[in-house]
Amino acid sequence: MRLLRAGRWITAIGLVLLAGIYVRALAFTPIERFQGPAQKIFYVHVPAAWCAMLAMGLVGIAGILYLLLKDPRFDRFGEASAEVGTVFSLVMLTTGPIWAKPIWGTWWTWDARLTLTLFLFLLFIGYLVLRGAVTEPSLRARYSAVLGICGIPLLVFIHLSVYLFRTLHPQPIVLKPSAPSLPGPMLVTLLMSFGVFTLLYVGFVVQRYALSYLREQLEAAGGTGGGGGGGHA
Amino acid sequence: MAEFVRHAWSVARKDLLVEFRSRTAILSAVVFTVLVLMVFNFGRDPTAVAAVDLAPSILWVTFTFAAMLALNRAFQLELENQALEGLLLAPISRGSIYLGKLLANLIFVGVVEAIGLPLFALFFNVRILPVILPLVGVIGLATIGFVAVGTLFSAMTVRTRFAELLLPVLLLPFMIPPLIWAVLATARLLADRPLSEITGWLKMLAAYDIVFVGLAFLLFPATVNE
Amino acid sequence: MPEAGPANAGYMVAAYIAAAVILVSYAVLLYRRTRKL
Repeated sequence: MRLLRAGRWITAIGLVLLAGIYVRALAFTPIERFQGPAQKIFYVHVPAAWCAMLAMGLVGIAGILYLLLKDPRFDRFGEASAEVGTVFSLVMLTTGPIWAKPIWGTWWTWDARLTLTLFLFLLFIGYLVLRGAVTEPSLRARYSAVLGICGIPLLVFIHLSVYLFRTLHPQPIVLKPSAPSLPGPMLVTLLMSFGVFTLLYVGFVVQRYALSYLREQLEAAGGTGGGGGGGHA
Repeated sequence: MAEFVRHAWSVARKDLLVEFRSRTAILSAVVFTVLVLMVFNFGRDPTAVAAVDLAPSILWVTFTFAAMLALNRAFQLELENQALEGLLLAPISRGSIYLGKLLANLIFVGVVEAIGLPLFALFFNVRILPVILPLVGVIGLATIGFVAVGTLFSAMTVRTRFAELLLPVLLLPFMIPPLIWAVLATARLLADRPLSEITGWLKMLAAYDIVFVGLAFLLFPATVNE
Repeated sequence: MPEAGPANAGYMVAAYIAAAVILVSYAVLLYRRTRKL
């Protein structure tokens, strides 16, 4: 199936480029003076967070589109994006505390952003659990859409809380009104990392989408007589 | 518009009548509240921990559980005798069903909170009267926040297996922000801090309520339409 | 090179490994799930 093959290639390229990012970040990007080498976790943590947020945002948009247009492709996309989002959330939630420990002295703190990104993870889990609990496809699609749509304003409140309440979390230095205040080579590494992580997101989602689609095709074809359009890659 | 509100009130009234006639749900909620308050009271060492330090958390744990109890039974009523289908066939808009349910849930939780708050003040020897107005404001705003989302979600979970388990799982990320803001604001109020310190949280709570009541109202039809 | 700051490279390595493990595992998982079809 072409979509699946495309997804696999994109993922493969993404992983190779990820290795490249690793090399660049670890060996060719300057060490930050105050935080030391641990600051480099930034180049993995922040893009992962971005992907998780992107994933959730797209789940929400897919939900709106599904409710408006009733096209099952949106539901399939939502399912894929949620699962991939969970993976990136996991990366964010493991690298975050590992970064926090040497810098803030504690693995975890209930500051606004950390707390609410934990809840981004819980939101994804909730979405997947809800899907697991509803067997009827159109009901499942509708319910998932509702949950996904509710997730978006929650994310907005998360972001607002960070700006409104002083926390331990570093204030945004890239996505803020004035120009990014990260020095040159670091900014380049970060931007490259964003690109690679986004590529990985795309590769994963395409594969996961293809997986849903192929499963549905197989089920539709039934147990007898063999699958018609089901795929070998 | 007036008709809409009337319909919503009819739905709410129906639920409340059922609730208060049988009284089991409200009684269990109140008993539970008393139980939680007592356990917390006996659980702490009064020489080590001042009541006012734990008070906000205890208050909100209690209220949260009461809200969950209310929400769990919100749509369960409708499962029996296919009452939900009957409700949907009635010539009222889906939106007014949602508002009616929301209203009923809010009143239910409100009653439990109204009983729980004085008990809380009594058991923990916390002076709430000087700050009663803002305190009630905070409690009201936060309650609206999670009951609004909870009412929407309970419409969905009621038809799934493990409904009582699924609802808290789904609701958790949505309850935490209003809960955090409410606990922080309550802590400040009970510590006699000036009101200006909590306006930020009050605004967030209000914004949260407006957004989620509106959103839930819009999405509710999607959860019950066939 | 200017002063390198505190010696916390171990955390950096741990985080990079954790992230790589998660991402690669998921890639492998997807590959195997789609292969089985």
